[in-house]
Amino acid sequence: MAYSDKVVDHYNHPRNVGSLDKNDPTVGTGLVGAPECGDVMKLQMKINPETQVIEEAKFKTFGCGSAIASSSLATEWVKGKTVDEALAIKNTDIVRELALPPVKIHCSVLAEDAIKAAISDWKRKNATESERPAASSAAQS
Amino acid sequence: MDMNDLEARFHQLSWKLHPDNFVKATAEERELALERGSQLNDAYRALRDPVARVEYLLAIEGMRKEGATKQQAPPELLEEVFELNESLDELRSARAEHQEGAEMAALRRRLEEAAKGFEERLAGVDEQLMAAAKDWDAALDSGDRAAGRAALGRMNEILNRRSYIRNLVRGVTQELAQE
Repeated sequence: MAYSDKVVDHYNHPRNVGSLDKNDPTVGTGLVGAPECGDVMKLQMKINPETQVIEEAKFKTFGCGSAIASSSLATEWVKGKTVDEALAIKNTDIVRELALPPVKIHCSVLAEDAIKAAISDWKRKNATESERPAASSAAQS
Repeated sequence: MDMNDLEARFHQLSWKLHPDNFVKATAEERELALERGSQLNDAYRALRDPVARVEYLLAIEGMRKEGATKQQAPPELLEEVFELNESLDELRSARAEHQEGAEMAALRRRLEEAAKGFEERLAGVDEQLMAAAKDWDAALDSGDRAAGRAALGRMNEILNRRSYIRNLVRGVTQELAQE
């Protein structure tokens, strides 16, 4: 199977490899994996609490070329986007951009999952009392 | 499963389908014998290995279809897998820079220890897998469909953990062998 030029480019020159401080409250971390091939992907983003804009994104992926390219592309795409815009990224967008073959579609799914996981980690860290599931008030009413 | 029986049946059928027996047959018959022969080989391969057998069972029961049902990765294992992969990376780059000495030795020791731990876990996971397979057999015999589904679900989850652990064992062993 031949990789597309874009996959090869991301594989040889991955963008935004590295990590951010996972204890920083403005950093969201998503760690996901695909059991079929044993891939692991870590995607982190630093989000401005005022504007909700993703200012920085880093990834580290242990896996095949398509998994690395998918996560590299994902970090490129989320940078500068708001949280809501990033959540709208679909794995099919990644498949199209990288021309992934059917057997590698799960790599793009992994990248989408990683974005969502990182954002929900950030949301969990930043949830104020009022935003948390209102267990007590619901119980009273 | 009786492995001797499997072996005997496989040889018997292979012999029956052997091309030498079809020298005087029509082209159509020869073609059919070849096709059946390759199906027989696939079947043997799937049956002979206990893990392949479980994979095949889950596939025909619709639990593991590429793209259809999304497989979940166990989160606590992911963390470990990620860290061990990072240590492997460190060892690789340390070797690339021809580093020697205490740090390199400590790194190797850490990996060797991790590899041993993961090998033990692989054995443990295989045991769990075989136990779940027995539950499945028992559920089939008693006709308990709910217990059967539960056993399939367990086998699926165990296989997911297994593929990570197996990859790690393989990766670490390969890396440590390169000296």
